[in-house]
Amino acid sequence: MIKTRELTKTVPTSDGTLQILKPISFSIEAGETVAIVGASGSGKSTLLSLLAGLDTATSGEIELNGQRLDKMDEEQRATLRGQDVGFIFQAFMLVQSLTALENILLPAQIAGLENAEQHAKNILEQVGLSHRADHYPNQLSGGEQQRVAIARAFICKPKILFADEPTGNLDAENGQKVEQLLFSLNRESGTTLVLVTHDTQLAQKCDRQLIMQAGQLSEAIKQEAQRVG
Amino acid sequence: MWANLAWRLFRHEMRRGELTIILFAIVLSVSAVLSLSLFSARLQSALTEKSAEFIAADRELVSSKKVEDSWLQKASQLGLNQALQRYTRSMVFANNKMQLVDVRAVDNHYPLKGKVKISVTPFAPPQETDTLPKTGEVWIDSRLFQVLQVNLGDDIEIGDAVLKIGGVVADIPDRGFSVFGNDHLLLMSMQDFAATHLDGPGSRIGYSYFFTGTAAQLSDYDDWITPNLNRELHRWRSIEDDDSAIGRSVKRAERYFLLASLLAIVLASVSIAVAAQRYSQRHFDPVAIMKTLGASRATVQKIYLVQLLLITFSAIAIGLVIGFAVQQLVIQAVADKVSVDLSGWYWQPILMAVFTGFICALLFSMYPLMRLFSVPPLRVLRRDIGANLSSKSIQLLSCGGAIFLLMLIFSGDWKMSLILFGCGILLVLGLIAFTFVLIRLGHKLGQGRISAWQLAWARIRRRSMDNAVQLISFSITLLLLLVVLVMRNDMIGQWRAQLPQDTPNYFIANITAQQLPELKQHFADLNVKTGDLYPLIRGRMAAVNGEMVRTAVSKDDDDTENRGRRGLGREAGLTWLDQIQDGNKLVAGKWFSGQSDELEVSVEQKIAERLDIKLGDVLTFNIGARVLEAKVTSLREVNWQSMKPNFYFVLQPQAMQDFPATYVTSFYLDGQDKALLTQLLAPFASISLFDVDARINQLREIIDQVSLAVEFILVLVLIAGALVLVSQVQASMDERQQELTILRTLGAKGRLIRLSVIFEFVIIGLVAGLMAAAANELTLYLLQSQIFEMESQFHWQFWWQAPLIGAGLVGALGAASCWRLLSLNTAHLLRNMF
Ligand SMILES: Nc1ncnc2c1ncn2[C@@H]1O[C@H](COP(=O)(O)OP(=O)(O)OP(=O)(O)O)[C@@H](O)[C@H]1O
Ligand SMILES: [Mg+2]
Repeated sequence: MIKTRELTKTVPTSDGTLQILKPISFSIEAGETVAIVGASGSGKSTLLSLLAGLDTATSGEIELNGQRLDKMDEEQRATLRGQDVGFIFQAFMLVQSLTALENILLPAQIAGLENAEQHAKNILEQVGLSHRADHYPNQLSGGEQQRVAIARAFICKPKILFADEPTGNLDAENGQKVEQLLFSLNRESGTTLVLVTHDTQLAQKCDRQLIMQAGQLSEAIKQEAQRVG
Repeated sequence: MWANLAWRLFRHEMRRGELTIILFAIVLSVSAVLSLSLFSARLQSALTEKSAEFIAADRELVSSKKVEDSWLQKASQLGLNQALQRYTRSMVFANNKMQLVDVRAVDNHYPLKGKVKISVTPFAPPQETDTLPKTGEVWIDSRLFQVLQVNLGDDIEIGDAVLKIGGVVADIPDRGFSVFGNDHLLLMSMQDFAATHLDGPGSRIGYSYFFTGTAAQLSDYDDWITPNLNRELHRWRSIEDDDSAIGRSVKRAERYFLLASLLAIVLASVSIAVAAQRYSQRHFDPVAIMKTLGASRATVQKIYLVQLLLITFSAIAIGLVIGFAVQQLVIQAVADKVSVDLSGWYWQPILMAVFTGFICALLFSMYPLMRLFSVPPLRVLRRDIGANLSSKSIQLLSCGGAIFLLMLIFSGDWKMSLILFGCGILLVLGLIAFTFVLIRLGHKLGQGRISAWQLAWARIRRRSMDNAVQLISFSITLLLLLVVLVMRNDMIGQWRAQLPQDTPNYFIANITAQQLPELKQHFADLNVKTGDLYPLIRGRMAAVNGEMVRTAVSKDDDDTENRGRRGLGREAGLTWLDQIQDGNKLVAGKWFSGQSDELEVSVEQKIAERLDIKLGDVLTFNIGARVLEAKVTSLREVNWQSMKPNFYFVLQPQAMQDFPATYVTSFYLDGQDKALLTQLLAPFASISLFDVDARINQLREIIDQVSLAVEFILVLVLIAGALVLVSQVQASMDERQQELTILRTLGAKGRLIRLSVIFEFVIIGLVAGLMAAAANELTLYLLQSQIFEMESQFHWQFWWQAPLIGAGLVGALGAASCWRLLSLNTAHLLRNMF
């Protein structure tokens, strides 16, 4: 589902260039759940942004669902994101001027799907917020907002879901709720899930764990052993 | 689908009030343009109509010969109304007395504009009439009754005809005004004119052809007739090219309206720019989210452009309604003072308003929108990433270009647009330089307890580059308000000064030297003050440096308002004075020294130009049977608009010692004292009286009306400016909100925050006011000297007033919106922010 070869990212800074990602090669199969863990500032979010086509790599190849991301321009990547990719962010990233329901409908509208409203209501029901459909993000708690974001991520039935610290801004209880929701929806739809997290418990629930260390990615031993075996 | 999304967003934004500032700014510009230009169109037509009464028509062809019939046929073809007047000066005889009179023979279409005024008996109050002298009858003015000692019904001899005196004419619209030239008036029917045989060989008869019609008809005829005119014979007059006091006042007022609406547009544009920038900033996140969710650039563009168009359309519609209502209100408010016709409909202001709305909305939000469209999706992960696009040159080009385009289209006046635009640019450059200095001026946050001043100062310095825009918008707003305000003060001041309350409304001439002491005494006894006395001799300038002058000095002077002077024929009034007359200005040479043996003369500048007279030339005058030569030693600029006797030629007193002169003087009688008139003049039967009271009142009335209109426009622009200021402060408050909230959260006292905000705004207001005052001085100087043809002066008082007012106003507005911010609780603020 996802394949990278010799992926690097460098950015220019005031004192020379900074290499955020050293050459990275790995692959993720369809339906897998993968956690990327690592210290703050190690480059997790950067990697995620490259995988999701939000940013472009300095060198190397990325294949997403059989398509070469690095050969696409911004418009093509946007279309691909719209069709195959879902997102969940630490900062929720809901459009403040749309209601919960409208936020969920947003990807469907962008993709030009008709009659998505019923579907959106169903998902909202699944995340347990059907009574808050007409509320605006700032009227919802953080946990509620993240549930809306999850509902939004699933409305277009993405093949791959990227989540950057989905529970990072939430307390334990809300984090749990969001976690459960994420995994159950994921199982139901057979989505590939790539999530970045500091939460070891959450990471352990995933099929694989990738560890990011100062721009270098390595597979966690336990999983590696399993896989090899 | 995107349309649906756009509509949802639009509806929501409207409900939450995010777009209202842009909406409001467009509404403001549309309604300001519509109300100002509609109002000024209506006022102009009212004033033109009124001024047209001064030539009794929209156009007048003055000719010293009868014009070809084809000219008049052409006018009929075009649908113009016509009237004819023939005029001459002639002796009339009655009751064994004779008198030189100004004879006007008119056909029965006369006058096309304005009214003839008559009195029931001589010296009775005048009233308007639609009738004209019947065949066989003449109307003469009150003084002529007295001079000839005749009564209504008596016979009067004009040329070869004997006609009956059938009425008292008080005034005719195109009588004109001249201290020297106004002879007694005689109005008669065209049908009797042939019988007088006044138009025999050697006579000097003038023809006045009057025309009225629609603007289009008139301009067609203008185009047709202009190439046919012969400068020697014809003069084509319209009220628009009228160089009289009224003509100038109206023209100046028109320019002022234009200026005011230009400035209103700029004001609105500035606030659109501010609002659009703020709007764009607020939408970085939604755009990044939409892009992340797969929206293509085109989709995002469509979503926001549709919103913009929806806003623009609704704002224009609302603006038109409001503009129309405001205009209607203003007109109703001035209705009892200005007779403005409400029925007329003007498409141009409406088109202009709609056009302005679009240009403002599109060009001023172009750059912020382009920035918005360029926000990368990566922003969802890296919050610090803003727009990819940051090209100040696009911003400057689009905003500057839009403003200049609007100015140019709106005023059609390169000069005015360039002046305003250029001064604006200078102001912006000045402010940028200032900001630069501010950044250089080190002053780090001190240690220990932080004071409000330090906080304010730190904020200003840190934000100085980003928010130079803010300073610029404040300064421009203040500048524009200053320009409109000071311009109005200067203009109205100069108008009023032109006609002070005690402007003489009566002139008396033909006073002999022997009568002088007696007259002075008599007037003093009756408590009437007379003005300066001017000796007067009728002379004729015959030669320059010995070369005979073919064209007459004062033949139908086309550069003065004083149409009546044409009756002078080739004569000019000569006077002699020790000192230069009040209100005249020496522009070349020296005033009489009295040292040289040669006689000296001072010549009016314009006539000197026309007759090619230079300093040092020797002029020959025929006075009666005698000849006098004088050398030109100075040129004078004369204010022909002043209601004072003015002279082309002023001679050195020594030159005139042995010429028998008569004297001219003036006096002022107010309403109640008018009864004194007969008593004042009773002992001096030979003196001629010129009553210019009506004329002065008419002038004053027009000037009052125009002033009133100018006041209204000023108020409108001031309101617009205040609103723009409020929205600017609000917008900049928004930008400070985050920081203030954090300060608040960190436990800073409300007082500290409030004070720091107030100080910050006070400093900004102070600087903006100071810069605005400087730019104002320059702008006004250029506008007044180049466009308004006014004397410009230095407005030192605004150099301290503007900064104070700026600081006070901006500080107060800042305090008010800060108050609102601090009254909300912190949790609420935080929730809205993150
Ligand atoms: N455009 C950029 N310019 C400069 N430095 C950058 C840029 N993008 C990323 N970095 C740096 O690269 C490093 C990796 O950033 P990244 O956001 O990927 O870290 P992260 O692993 O997600 O950290 P965290 O767990 O705190 O979210 C950081 O040190 C960051 O400052
Ligand atoms: Mg991160």
